[in-house]
Amino acid sequence: MKMEKNFIVSTSPHLHSGDDVATAMKDVIIALMPVTLVACYFFKFNVPFLIMVCVLTAMFTEVLFCKLMHKKPQLSDCSAILTGLLVALSFSAATPWWLAAAATFIAIGFAKEFLGGLGWNRFNPALFGRVSVIIFAPWLTYLNNEFFYWRVSFPGIDTITQATPLTMLQMGLPLPNMGTFFFATQGGGIAESSAFALLLGGAYLLYKKHITWHIPVSMMATVFIGMALLGQHPVYHLLSGGLLLGAFFMATDWVTSPITKKGQIIFGVCIGIIVVIFRVLLAPTEGVAFAILIMNAFVPLIDRLTKRSKFGEQKTQAMLQSNISTETEVAVKN
Amino acid sequence: MAKTFERGISSIPGYKELTENMSIQDLPLPSELIIPLRQHIGAPNRRLVSVGERVKAGQIIGDSDAAISAPVHTGLSGVVREIGSRMTQTGQMEDCVVIEVDPEQEKVKYTADDVSHLTKEEIVQRIKAAGIVGMGGAGFPTHIKITPQTKIEYLVLNGCECEPYLTCDHRLMLEYADEMIAGARILSRVLDNAKVIFGIEVNKQDAIDLLKEKLKNEERMEVVPLDVKYPQGAEKQLIYATTGRSVPPGKLPAEVAVVVQNVATAKAVADAVIYRKPLTERIVTLTGDAAVQPGNYRVFVGTTLAHLINSTGGLKPDVGKIIMGGPMTGWAQKSLEAPIVKACGGVIALTREQLAAAQEYYACVRCGKCVDHCPMALYPNYIGMYAELGKYKQAQEWGALDCFECGICAYVCPSRRPLIEFIRRSKRA
Repeated sequence: MKMEKNFIVSTSPHLHSGDDVATAMKDVIIALMPVTLVACYFFKFNVPFLIMVCVLTAMFTEVLFCKLMHKKPQLSDCSAILTGLLVALSFSAATPWWLAAAATFIAIGFAKEFLGGLGWNRFNPALFGRVSVIIFAPWLTYLNNEFFYWRVSFPGIDTITQATPLTMLQMGLPLPNMGTFFFATQGGGIAESSAFALLLGGAYLLYKKHITWHIPVSMMATVFIGMALLGQHPVYHLLSGGLLLGAFFMATDWVTSPITKKGQIIFGVCIGIIVVIFRVLLAPTEGVAFAILIMNAFVPLIDRLTKRSKFGEQKTQAMLQSNISTETEVAVKN
Repeated sequence: MAKTFERGISSIPGYKELTENMSIQDLPLPSELIIPLRQHIGAPNRRLVSVGERVKAGQIIGDSDAAISAPVHTGLSGVVREIGSRMTQTGQMEDCVVIEVDPEQEKVKYTADDVSHLTKEEIVQRIKAAGIVGMGGAGFPTHIKITPQTKIEYLVLNGCECEPYLTCDHRLMLEYADEMIAGARILSRVLDNAKVIFGIEVNKQDAIDLLKEKLKNEERMEVVPLDVKYPQGAEKQLIYATTGRSVPPGKLPAEVAVVVQNVATAKAVADAVIYRKPLTERIVTLTGDAAVQPGNYRVFVGTTLAHLINSTGGLKPDVGKIIMGGPMTGWAQKSLEAPIVKACGGVIALTREQLAAAQEYYACVRCGKCVDHCPMALYPNYIGMYAELGKYKQAQEWGALDCFECGICAYVCPSRRPLIEFIRRSKRA
């Protein structure tokens, strides 16, 4: 038979689910579209512009670092695009474009590629980039004042004067009404525009099975209960300050969250506790970003502590005592 | 409510519709048989025939004195043309007896014995003499498996057929139900009247109904419907699903007083004990989108893949891969020269289109899907990462040695990592 030469030979299994990383990343991008659209409504061109800057920076940085490290860039897995988008969404719409670009550069270049690329990064790249520019803020402001005179701004809105809801809460300012707050509100980060849109995206990710409920629910429940116990308004805390973005899109990042469900619940609860402490004792904003990054560092420990036993490993003793009848035990002994 | 085990995966398409309603058919007589002298786990057989010798249908052609071994027989008469090393389904070379088959076969008459007076030892002897091995894929000699040192409470008959595509056991349960039940009864006798459980996935409702009807007056035989979930038919998972017992890592089912046998093995046991008929044929599912005439065929052991495929219309032009065994655990074939052996239940021809997606693999993204689904509760992600780095000791610490290579981890991996290959490497190290 002539065709014999053409048979493909590979090891089992010979079937595949068809899932791939790119599909998952694309689905996360789709899940972020509702909140992006709401933000576009409020902040007009600032939002698409900032997203464009971040996504292009992300792709450029990925290629640059892969070339430097003699690796093949993997733009097709869409993870760089997603990181760029997440960085953009975590800023406020008034952020100077170069600051967002710097955050993206750090996110992709250092937090991801420098550590070995997708899969080897220990910290969520988008959050790492975001928090880096907060830490370097004084220095960056200096840079800005000295070197960057060219700015891009779009007329028609005044974004600077918007206080984030968390700051309003802290300062005792009148809060927006709950309905407005839930569906669409102007203030804070781009991704804080609409809790409803974020929940919609989160539901989509759950439906597509890219994430499970364990991290978002344990994290949100902890913040809710913690704030209620401390006499704060739990719902406002839940719906603001990037908590939803963090719970559904950042803390659930495959690479930087625990492997087992038990570990994921521990992870979510710990993030929640840190968020509560941060918001109550330290600054009104950025608590979620710091909390997730701190817990990212503990993921290997959590994985080790929650290591499960193999099938049949633990139940052996109990079973030998209960399930098998006495008759057999006698037979075994003989 | 159907029973099941923990973890595993229920979203693999079954592809059973290609052949599940097709009755078992005979193949045209092959012109040659290539019979591997070893078709079991255990010591190799020595040949009992020589080149040029005439053999009769049912004649023994290879045997061993070793405890763990099973003899082989020829199902057809002919002349031994060659004895030498040939390619087998696993890709390994094995000593085979090549028989030029007589174009006219004399029909061998097997008559039923009264087996009620047989002692346990006599039954085991007949099973051993017939060369019966586990027909679900493992090929472990049956006479060893049914003579454990400890008392057995349950004999579980494995009718799960959880591998996609395969329907040979399904058809066997429908068309040879009486023989299979007779075999189960004999096996139960050897195991001191162990209770018999038929474990069958609910995608074979007709087989469940048929057996329930036939067993309605049997006190010590029961049909347990099981969820359609892979790998439901894996020994430890099946035992857990049907009896609630967990076999400890590294132990055999006898540890929890259970023995598992495939339904086709049970039918072969009935043939062996009642008719003294050796195991020389089996049902094979030829299937897949690239097979011209998918179906369930009665095939003599030693029939080549080429004969099975060519006598059933051949392959479609877009064939990409030929698998012997199931699609999750079977072996891709380089050529069509390998013979069907006792433990081979399926030949699957996949199209190029179905394989198009398979290419390079990427770093682990820690999605945890393999961990979620692993039926043995291992960590295929870590095993794979360590094996990739050559750190096999750590790979074993994360459970590589307890893996039975069901293939789920590689099936679900979004980075398409060859996890089963990594695990095999870790085991060998």
